[in-house]
Amino acid sequence: MKQELERVEQEALEAIKGVSDPTGVKTLKARYVGRKGVVTALLRKISGLPPEERPETGRLANELKKRLEKAFEKALQAFEADRGELMADALDVTLPGRPLARGRMHPITQMTKAICEVFQRLGFEIVEGPDVEWDYYNFEALNIPRDHPARDMHDTFYISENIVLRTHTSPIQIRVMESQSPPVRIIAPGKSYRVDSDISHTPMFFQVEGLMVQENISFGDLKGVLTTFAHQIFDEETSLRFRPSFFPFTEPSAEIDIRCVICRGAGCRVCSHTGWLEVLGAGMVHPAVFEMVGYDTDRYTGFAFGMGIERIAMLKYGIEDIRKFYENDLRFLEQF
Amino acid sequence: MKVSLSWLKDYVTIDVDVVKLAEALTMAGLEVDGLVDRYAYLDRVVVGRIVEIAPRSHAETLSLCRVDVGNGIKPVVCGATNIKEGDLVPMALPGAQLPSGETIEAGRMRGQASEGMLCSEAELALGMDSSGILLLPETAKPGLGVAVALSLSDTIIEFDLTPNRSDCLSIIGIAREVAAILKTPLKYPKVKLPPGETPIEELSSVTIEAPDHCPRYAARVVTDVNIGPSPFWLQDRLHSVGLRTINNVVDVTNFVLMEMGQPLHAFDFDRLAEHRIVIKTAQEGQAFTTLDGVERTLGSDMLMICDGKGPVALAGIMGGLESEIEDQTTRVLIESAYFNPITTRRTAKRLGLNTESSHRFERGVDPVGVRRALDRAAQLMAELAGGKLAEGVIDVYPRPIPERVIDLSVKRTNRLLGTRLSQDDVGAYLKSVELDVEPLDKDRLRVVPPTFRVDITRPEDLMEEVARLRGYDQIPTTHPVSHVVARKPDKKLRVRDRLWQLLAGCGFLEIVTYSFIRRDACDQLLLHDQDPRRQMVSILNPLTEDQAVMRSSLLPGLLATMYRNSKQRNENLRIFELGKVFLYTTPDELPEEIEMISGLWTGARHVKTWHSKESKVDFYDMKGVVEAVCAGLNIAGVRFAPLTGTDFPYLRSGYAAQIQVGNERLGAVGELSGEVLRNFGLNQVAYCFDLNFDRLVDHVSEEKRTKALSRFPATTRDMALILSNSIEAQALLDFMEAMGQVLVEGVEIFDIYTGSPIPQGKKSIGLRFTYRSFERSLTDSEVNEIHDTITREVLKKFSARLRPE
Repeated sequence: MKQELERVEQEALEAIKGVSDPTGVKTLKARYVGRKGVVTALLRKISGLPPEERPETGRLANELKKRLEKAFEKALQAFEADRGELMADALDVTLPGRPLARGRMHPITQMTKAICEVFQRLGFEIVEGPDVEWDYYNFEALNIPRDHPARDMHDTFYISENIVLRTHTSPIQIRVMESQSPPVRIIAPGKSYRVDSDISHTPMFFQVEGLMVQENISFGDLKGVLTTFAHQIFDEETSLRFRPSFFPFTEPSAEIDIRCVICRGAGCRVCSHTGWLEVLGAGMVHPAVFEMVGYDTDRYTGFAFGMGIERIAMLKYGIEDIRKFYENDLRFLEQF
Repeated sequence: MKVSLSWLKDYVTIDVDVVKLAEALTMAGLEVDGLVDRYAYLDRVVVGRIVEIAPRSHAETLSLCRVDVGNGIKPVVCGATNIKEGDLVPMALPGAQLPSGETIEAGRMRGQASEGMLCSEAELALGMDSSGILLLPETAKPGLGVAVALSLSDTIIEFDLTPNRSDCLSIIGIAREVAAILKTPLKYPKVKLPPGETPIEELSSVTIEAPDHCPRYAARVVTDVNIGPSPFWLQDRLHSVGLRTINNVVDVTNFVLMEMGQPLHAFDFDRLAEHRIVIKTAQEGQAFTTLDGVERTLGSDMLMICDGKGPVALAGIMGGLESEIEDQTTRVLIESAYFNPITTRRTAKRLGLNTESSHRFERGVDPVGVRRALDRAAQLMAELAGGKLAEGVIDVYPRPIPERVIDLSVKRTNRLLGTRLSQDDVGAYLKSVELDVEPLDKDRLRVVPPTFRVDITRPEDLMEEVARLRGYDQIPTTHPVSHVVARKPDKKLRVRDRLWQLLAGCGFLEIVTYSFIRRDACDQLLLHDQDPRRQMVSILNPLTEDQAVMRSSLLPGLLATMYRNSKQRNENLRIFELGKVFLYTTPDELPEEIEMISGLWTGARHVKTWHSKESKVDFYDMKGVVEAVCAGLNIAGVRFAPLTGTDFPYLRSGYAAQIQVGNERLGAVGELSGEVLRNFGLNQVAYCFDLNFDRLVDHVSEEKRTKALSRFPATTRDMALILSNSIEAQALLDFMEAMGQVLVEGVEIFDIYTGSPIPQGKKSIGLRFTYRSFERSLTDSEVNEIHDTITREVLKKFSARLRPE
């Protein structure tokens, strides 16, 4: 009898697996646990067993019946769920939820924070300075005297003969070095201004400037720090190219290209088919700048670097027109 | 700067692919911006075979040809007489753009279809012959591009040079770098002058009255010149780098300018009064007409080249109209000088003139190269214009440019670069670009840079040379070793971060607008005449009138953003800006920069969805935002009160509140006045807040102390009052606070009602009191007793009565 029960259970469970619709389940259910079903019939047979076997067998048979009923129920539910059948009182869970207004930081703010955080992890401290700046801090202290052709690199907004809208955040370097002695490790984000307006230039833009000064800082260290930066902002696969360039306040100076993030170097429209994208300017702090702030050039060396935040955000987010950042169209801002 | 590869090859052997060369130059610091196929303009000019020339009558000057252009036979109307059937000729197809600027189109001439143009050598800028159609060699195949058929190939390399490398503003300058990179010798052009005739001293003289502005001036005189067109090779060279051709004498000066980087000037010797040159500064206000026909007003710091009577050229910038070379010129004085870079730059800037010449003088030319260039030009003029040289040269050099000697430590070089180069390595790199190097001791080198390297003045300049010639990619990448010093970010930065999160949490989108706005923005905001925000900082050279002054308020930016979005039908906006405003102080000080935080909410509080109808934002929504932000920033004692004073004329009176902490006013919140909205082209109700962030930061407490929680249950009692409409809720709440009932845990306003059955001028306020003790469960009678006491006091204080149940 006991074996008979086990056999019936096996058989029923196998049968359930083979069923392809709810009607099949119902038929099976009737066959096994219905009034005229196999299990019911077995239960009836119990009375014919020896009395000492009856309680144990009865218990087993009843348990089997319950198990099978559960299995049939489960199978039925599975079919209903599969077919997406609704129970009469169920919610339409596919209706949209009640909208909560979700605010966002401007993409430039987000990018600035991301950039600064990389350097903060490296022990750099965020410092800020005025947007309206002395010509001295913006140019002269950075080894860009009046009447120097390097001024042509900066199309400047003037407030007066001696006051300008800063053309980069580099004047913050000078302000910091004037007020503290080495070691210096700062990162200076902020607005900068140049007389320029087209698809890749806005008259106001954001820059991040960095400066590290102490004993024995080398060009190799500059490469190391900026490589770390590029790997964290883009990805570990990003390769960098350091190219000689010229900035009056650094020497040697470099421009840093990254492998095009769009085509991975194969050449595309974004990188003008060169495979490289210029993202940073950098170099070893020029001794003339140290002399200007009274640092000992025999003892200290340092590096400085700067980058346009829009440029990096454009590459990361696939934005083609820089002006989009300052039009503040809701449909644009909501994507960040 | 543009350089033609074939021209470059006159001075250096180049056996690598031009793309590779360009990359190597870029990596050596001469950034190549582009490579352009010199003959790309011939793309739509193909070899054609003349299949048939229709006979023409005497009266006709044009005949109809049928030309096989490889993929078919095309009709072409042509006026040339030097062609016959079977000839191979260049045919410009429709769409071709000729060097003259003319674009070929298919059309009809004299009633005949004509699908192109047969071209002469001159029309294709491949020679000077314009008398007939260019006949191509027998081997040319119809349909082949003409450039291919003639084996024409050249690449124009476009450089984006940095301002320090004035030595590279010439073909030879670039060739020198190429030679160093490819490790191959540089071939200078050989200058060999024909013997001179009349001694120059008998013809002319040069006097420098301003030696600081003009340290060196050299001149030669060429006589018996025939002014005419230059030979084709010279024209071609000039065209290849984008220069125009004028005549043989002027073209020679431009050729030498491009070849050697030394600007030259050619004067008509016979138009120089007294046949002499005087270099001196101009008289203030003096008028002078430059070559381009523009009359310019001179300043007393401008350096002029004068003849015996007056100015004939703006030194180093542009010649004068009165002494330029003309067709009948027979005698030429060639000027080759070194002008002070600063003098040149100041003058060029002030006059708004930027010429090939001023560009180079500003950056510094080679003071020694002055003579070589002069001789080169004299030789070419003699060769090409049939001139005879006057014997000798005038070379006035009152301020010799001193030789620079630099002491370079190899150890320091390695320290700066992070390299381990030997003294020999360092020396070799420097020698490869013509620097003179001698070891001084085990560590140091004595380096004399050549005179054309005006950018090299100190040891770091040499270190940069070593680094770029070694290749930045060859410098090992290392990581700095430094002490761990971690400073806590500035409080302002921390508060800013928190504020961003809070406002984003309130559903606000951050915007960033330009710091400059329209000059009349203060009028648009209806600011009072004495309002400090009217003290704006003006930009001397704004890009547009919309960006003429630095903003003194963030509101114009918010309103302009609302306007721009309304045009895009983005009508529901919740935006904020965190940024600086600028207030003018005195001319000798920087403006005051104040960081502000301002927000704007317009349109829906909730948009219409399947859940609910749309509801519009109101004052209390915006006040709620300010309250949430202040609470989030942990600012204690924030209060709102009706506006006083004249600081917020842009807010609708009665619908706005000032925001205070204690007696200090931090800003305001409220509905924007209809007039202000109209001034910004808007007509949808909008609410804003405007707070001084700098002062807000001062009130932010970063201390947090938790309160103990009572274990005992709370009990509530309501109080419904009828009192005068003029009593502010704050007064009620303050009064109850002041009563100092310790068992009162909180008081909330849960209902406000006016209208029947409440009498006119009165309102009903429903208050809910929460009572709780820290020591025990309060009994009903205990609570009732306190509540009754409070009720009595309130009724008395505010002449109120209880609203009947």
